[in-house]
Amino acid sequence: MSRWSYFARRVLLAVPVVFLGTTVAFLIVRLGPIDPAAAILGAQQVGSPEYYQLREQLGLTDPLWEQYIDFMWEMVTFQLGRSWVISPGTRVNDLIAIYAPRTIWLGFWSVLIALCVGIPLGVYAGLNPNTLGDYVASLGGIVWRAMPNFWLAVIIVTVLSQSQALVGVDWERLWVSTQVVTPPDLSVFARPRILITRPGEAWTQVAVAVKQVAPAALVLGSASMGNEMRIGRTAVLEIINADYIEAARAKGVSSRRLIWKHVFRNALIPLVPIITAEAFLLIGGSVLVETVFAINGLGYLFFQATVQGDLPLVISLMYIFILLLVAANILQDFLYTLIDPRVGYERS
Amino acid sequence: MHDRTPPVDTEGGHAEGSTATGEKTASLTERIAATPTPAVLWAVGLLVLLGVEFGAVLQTGAALVAGLGRAVPGLSPEALDGLRSAARSVPTLLSRETIPTQGWRTGADGPWRSTFAGVEPKHAWLVRVGLIYTYAFVFLAWLWLGYRTYRRHYRRADWTPRDDVIDRLRSHRWGQFGLVIVLAFVVMALFAPAMGPTTADRNILNPYDHEIKYYDARTGGVETIAVGDANLRSGSEGPSRNVGPWTYDAYGRFHPFGTLPSGKDLFTFLAEGARISLSIGVASMLISGVIGMAMATITAYYKGVVDLLVVLTSDSIKSLPLLMVLILVVVVFQGTWLAEVYDGAVLLTLVLALVNWPHLWRAVRGPALQVAEATWIDAARSFGQSPAVIMRKHMAPYIVGYMMVYASMSLGGVVISVAGLSFLGLGITPPTPEWGRAVSVGQPYVATASWHISLLPGILVTLVVTGFNALGDGLRDAIDPESEGDTADVESTTAGGGGA
Repeated sequence: MSRWSYFARRVLLAVPVVFLGTTVAFLIVRLGPIDPAAAILGAQQVGSPEYYQLREQLGLTDPLWEQYIDFMWEMVTFQLGRSWVISPGTRVNDLIAIYAPRTIWLGFWSVLIALCVGIPLGVYAGLNPNTLGDYVASLGGIVWRAMPNFWLAVIIVTVLSQSQALVGVDWERLWVSTQVVTPPDLSVFARPRILITRPGEAWTQVAVAVKQVAPAALVLGSASMGNEMRIGRTAVLEIINADYIEAARAKGVSSRRLIWKHVFRNALIPLVPIITAEAFLLIGGSVLVETVFAINGLGYLFFQATVQGDLPLVISLMYIFILLLVAANILQDFLYTLIDPRVGYERS
Repeated sequence: MHDRTPPVDTEGGHAEGSTATGEKTASLTERIAATPTPAVLWAVGLLVLLGVEFGAVLQTGAALVAGLGRAVPGLSPEALDGLRSAARSVPTLLSRETIPTQGWRTGADGPWRSTFAGVEPKHAWLVRVGLIYTYAFVFLAWLWLGYRTYRRHYRRADWTPRDDVIDRLRSHRWGQFGLVIVLAFVVMALFAPAMGPTTADRNILNPYDHEIKYYDARTGGVETIAVGDANLRSGSEGPSRNVGPWTYDAYGRFHPFGTLPSGKDLFTFLAEGARISLSIGVASMLISGVIGMAMATITAYYKGVVDLLVVLTSDSIKSLPLLMVLILVVVVFQGTWLAEVYDGAVLLTLVLALVNWPHLWRAVRGPALQVAEATWIDAARSFGQSPAVIMRKHMAPYIVGYMMVYASMSLGGVVISVAGLSFLGLGITPPTPEWGRAVSVGQPYVATASWHISLLPGILVTLVVTGFNALGDGLRDAIDPESEGDTADVESTTAGGGGA
């Protein structure tokens, strides 16, 4: 099997995966003991005429398989229904459009911070193995990764909001004035034209938004940072000592070609699974980090919707998260296919 | 997915199999009967060690039955109390009755009454904790000695591949560090009722059912107060009122980690919380380990459609965001009987087990596929052995080591996810202690004098997770020294507890 047909098979397999994952979510919500009509009206209304009317209206009296087919069709066509409790009557698509940008902004910076710190540290540690610097970086990475996000978030919030007393530098007034526990203000991206027409003002707003989200992004990226460091270190260590590097050098491969084609490309392979892991950690971690930092993004929305029993919202968000994770998985396979010529060769 | 397969130790993997099924020699009991002295000496030592703690074993059993209480209709509270007091009446070396830490002063600087040997509660507590850890490590050393005795006197083979694994582990300092941390955590969880300066029942769950005596400077005499009332006046709520780590409160009670805002003892809270975290972690890992193992051997043996089906199922489960599913399930099942068994721990265990097995399966898939190609599998098949026997006897033993590596690494993740859930106010139902809840209640006080409430539980979680990861590293290097870096996939997804 060629590399690309292997990749095509992986993409094809993603379809039933999304389907099954969404079905599991549907089953948890609909077969569980939760009563959507009671969640909307309140428990004391159970049994009243309005209650039965609402059940009829929501389609809860239809057979389960009919509800299931309707539900799946709505998901596939992205008609995600309307919210019941959080913001009654609002379309879920609109709610997601409101909440998603903050989460994307947060996720973007957490990936970037983690990459920019984790990989250079890992490469440094791999190039200087068993030195003091290596030990400090490795141990730091391990402990940094083991810290629970929610706890780290609590500590960082406190340290930053009391930074005048604790460190002597006031974080909130540093550079531009911001609060620690606040959602980032992304209004500037609604009118991207002013980034060019009025750059001074607009870019300050961008800087404020970055500063507002930076502590949360640091926490959310902590686990990935540790992983990237650790795996980068091992990869560099392994490849520098590999026989084929020696052979390539003996053959007269130019050092530029040696580094880019033989070292770097191979060092990337073990870093690829980080992508799926990163998506996994970002989506799961967003609930806790957004709760602590009061960033009203998708994770916060999911938590509120679940606790308040807003079922259409919960299940639509779950569907979106599943799509994102599967997309990350496909991206991972794509990168494998691109950089690892052995893919699909051994196993057919 | 990209599976890289470590080399099969062909000779090694088979050595044990052949001795187990090969020529007829004396069985273990016969071999012990031939030279009984070392075995008898060891067994006597073990009995002594177990005997001094027999009461604790009974008490744990009683506590386990009590946890089921609400789910099993036949158990009345009276019967449970009877069971508990019967278990408590058996003398135990490490119990708080043998080394009491709760006492009172007879005067302003008077001697302590009712504590161990009349020393102050701090020292009595240190003696008891020291004794517990000494006991635990002596016990483990005794088990190690037992293994050595077996190896020297009773094992048929002079050498097995396991010996090499153990030797490699013995020179792996980082893995040993992990092992010590993990053992310290396990001991804390197992001996939780004797560990704290007071018990969860007295101090946290039913504080108004118990009374303490204390020296009151105002009246100049020894007074009696309900534990609940004493708690109300010894909370930690910032600069105005605080009982910090390693101090006494106004009622002569010693708090190694300080108190919660409610005045309850933080150390007792954390020791009980360790019990819950560890039970959920171990139980869910056992279940997902068994499922993962079965799937790995079955898919590696049959391949084809079965393999494809399991790939699909596991990919679907892996496409669910772990923490979100946990939140959803916990909320959906709130108020049902399943959420009440062991204060919700059973529900969490089941969900975690069902969500985690695909990761474990993926991790051992490589070794499983490889062992399925081994010549001894072919030989067993042509011998006419049934597939079930081949999988169990000739494939599983080879994979189980790898399984342990990933289970250890994922266990830390389970501890984090459970703590994250209770931080959000979900999962383990209050007032049952859970680490995440301590972080949550201490959140407003982190920058004040009562910093200990949030900080200490977080440091403990970090330490425990680091310990489990280090142990996993050590095991991996011991089992397969050439596999460095292969564990990235599982490690990075599950070790973080799904982002909690």
